[in-house]
Amino acid sequence: MKMKYLILASALFATLVSAVDAKLKVVATLPDLASLAREIGGDKIDVSAMAKPTEDPHFVDARPSFVVQLRDADVLIDGGAELEIGWLPPLLQNARNSKIEIGKPGRVQASQGVRLMNVPGNVTRAAGDVHALGNPHFMTDPIIAKTVALHIAQAFSAIDAPNASAYDANYKKFEATINAKLQEWGTAMLPFKGQNVVAYHDSWVYFAHRFSLNIDTFLEPKPGIPPSPSHLAEVIEKMKAQKIKAIIVEPFHDRKIAEKVASSTGAKVVDFAQYPGALPNTDTYVKLIDALVARLSAAMK
Amino acid sequence: MRNLIYGALACCAITGAFAQAAEPDASPPAASTPASTAEVEALRQEVQSLKEMVRTLQQQMKEQPPATTEKNNSNAPTLPQNPEPQTADTSSQPAPSPNAPPLFPTSDTAVVASSPPVNANGTSLFPTTDESVTTTPATVSSSDTGSSLTQPIPITGGGNKNYMNISFDSVFALASSSDRHLDRLEVGDHDPQQRGFNARNAEIALDGAVDPYFEGFANIVLKLDNNNQTQIELEEAFLQTTTLPFGLQVKAGQFFDAFGRINATHPHTWDFADSPLVNGRLLGPDGLRGVGAQISWTLPVPWYSQAIFAVQNGRGGTAYSFRNPGDNGVFYDRMTIDRDASALHDMLFVPRFENSFNPSDTQTVLFGASGAFGANDTGPNAHTQIYGADFLYKWKSPRAEGGFPFVKWQTEAMYRRFEAGRGLDNLFPVDETFRDWGMYSQVLWGFKKGWVVGIRGDYLHMQPSAFTQDDTRQSRSRISANLTWYPTEFSKIRLQYNHDFLEENEFLASRNADSVFLQFEFILGAHGAHKF
Repeated sequence: MKMKYLILASALFATLVSAVDAKLKVVATLPDLASLAREIGGDKIDVSAMAKPTEDPHFVDARPSFVVQLRDADVLIDGGAELEIGWLPPLLQNARNSKIEIGKPGRVQASQGVRLMNVPGNVTRAAGDVHALGNPHFMTDPIIAKTVALHIAQAFSAIDAPNASAYDANYKKFEATINAKLQEWGTAMLPFKGQNVVAYHDSWVYFAHRFSLNIDTFLEPKPGIPPSPSHLAEVIEKMKAQKIKAIIVEPFHDRKIAEKVASSTGAKVVDFAQYPGALPNTDTYVKLIDALVARLSAAMK
Repeated sequence: MRNLIYGALACCAITGAFAQAAEPDASPPAASTPASTAEVEALRQEVQSLKEMVRTLQQQMKEQPPATTEKNNSNAPTLPQNPEPQTADTSSQPAPSPNAPPLFPTSDTAVVASSPPVNANGTSLFPTTDESVTTTPATVSSSDTGSSLTQPIPITGGGNKNYMNISFDSVFALASSSDRHLDRLEVGDHDPQQRGFNARNAEIALDGAVDPYFEGFANIVLKLDNNNQTQIELEEAFLQTTTLPFGLQVKAGQFFDAFGRINATHPHTWDFADSPLVNGRLLGPDGLRGVGAQISWTLPVPWYSQAIFAVQNGRGGTAYSFRNPGDNGVFYDRMTIDRDASALHDMLFVPRFENSFNPSDTQTVLFGASGAFGANDTGPNAHTQIYGADFLYKWKSPRAEGGFPFVKWQTEAMYRRFEAGRGLDNLFPVDETFRDWGMYSQVLWGFKKGWVVGIRGDYLHMQPSAFTQDDTRQSRSRISANLTWYPTEFSKIRLQYNHDFLEENEFLASRNADSVFLQFEFILGAHGAHKF
């Protein structure tokens, strides 16, 4: 009986506390979306990301603690392009939070307003882990990130009107930063325009598009299918023929395979990541792109 | 400072460019929200011209020494003029509309108003917008489009038509065993039941949003018996609320009870090719499920804590320990009385309470306690109580690819008190109370992407009865090991070895039995989301 009162009291207390500090509770499925939310929300919001920056975003465990996060969320930001389809739906079913349903102001689907690339004309799983709506790794293009940031700012403003001007100002600031940084990044990548880069998985099409690279050779024979020796032999041949200098791998990929390919072609393995926090000193989106540009341009020199 | 200037100039360029895009010469400015053909054409041209611009600029960049690019670009006379901004002057900037929602300021007071005229050399060296990848942000923030700022941009990612997800999961097993009676050795209805090939679980799964208030689920299972006759089960068919307040959710229809970990899940999601002994013998070969209603409540505490309570008829073979008339009217050697519910206490009540927390960023634990209370058919006043406890621990690497590597430890224990009456017309000589218990514990190690090795121990204690010789009331234990390869999450191939320790009786002739199963599975259709 005592326990029951204790629980009730703590619940009441929790409600009161949350009413007092009144920060928007924002949950993002992925760390890049969380980073943008932080840029826009600043100290007006509490942000948490579900996936870890170093793990494969296609397969995140639907941990019960996420149900609690989603239940308490004022805003949910998800990719909207089925990247999280393997784990988000059962969590949402369990969260019972109508504020974050699709169509409500509390739900931001980042892919809104983004023209997804590589939309398969013929969706078949014989092609591996295909995404019917198009490639969902779109946040690696800073121009797209601006659009996503704008949606986030709009959602925050709609829900938390008193702070709308702060969100607007933060968005403007973010937009200006990205616009200025794009000059820097563009300049750094310009010498490598049109060059080929090999990636472990097909998650860099937007980055490649932005900086005029060709990233269309992959260590995986098909998305999500582990590299096979015969496929790697083809990749090595192609790399030698095209004098490809860099292989980009993400933290959750098997780096040894990339190293093996690198050693037989003379290319460099470049540690890449889609998510802020996965590489040292990349706790924000801008720092992440800084790091990617620096690493890739250093490897391709 | 320079950043700011760049930013300001870039914004001008964007806004200017947009103003032109949104108001092509031929079309009236008001009609910009629903994209007309003319506008699409205009946008296309815009994109084309931007692309041209980028190309020219990049060419220019190559020809210039790097030092030039460092300069403020308003001093770079060699740069080509962007033709677009010149057509848009400040008067074409959208004036803040009085109808615009006040939530988010629409005029670019911070950037545009204080910036120099748009037709200054405000061209960025590197493009900062790209209409081939996004619908231009300006579309949303300018007030003359008449669109609400909170209104979604029309090109949506998740906009596919989808009324129902359909999938088909099929599990097969090639079995070999030292015991001739695999159907008696294996305790689950979806387990391999004969030497050779088995097709014990092919299920059609349907789910989707019914309306704004409910979601619907259905699982229809087809299986082939040992004579290759098809049997159909309506395994589950229920609706579930989506919009109840206070963390409540109601489920109604035919469904698996939330008793422990394995009972509520479908065979194709299991980590072993067969059901644990304790599940098959205490909850029943088909699992505990039936028609009824369930309410669940997520407690308002900072950790995951959920209370679930279900009421079902608790009748028939899928309520094995309850009002189950048994095969040919016999259960535990008693002629059963197949009775209707005479009072509320004849129904089946299934409560559960579960809690979960994360000891670290990579570890999760979940504890659960379950109960199942109801009447049984061996006597007019015979009742059954089952109590269960379960525990799950999971570690997953912070650098997991495809969900690997991981370690998962799962344990369930159950205790059953079964009041066995004297059966129909008191024909059985005595009434007895069976106190049975059992448990299993299993560890799965996903050591490499797609590869899982597992080990499981099973123990079952059935209270001996002087009056029955029922093979389903035999105490026994088992050890199992397996290796599973998941080529993708839509297929798997599993090799499993079981060693059974048995008591000799008239049904099971030997003391030990060795079995090997080769299980294979495929999934078609909707992406099966993974519950924890």
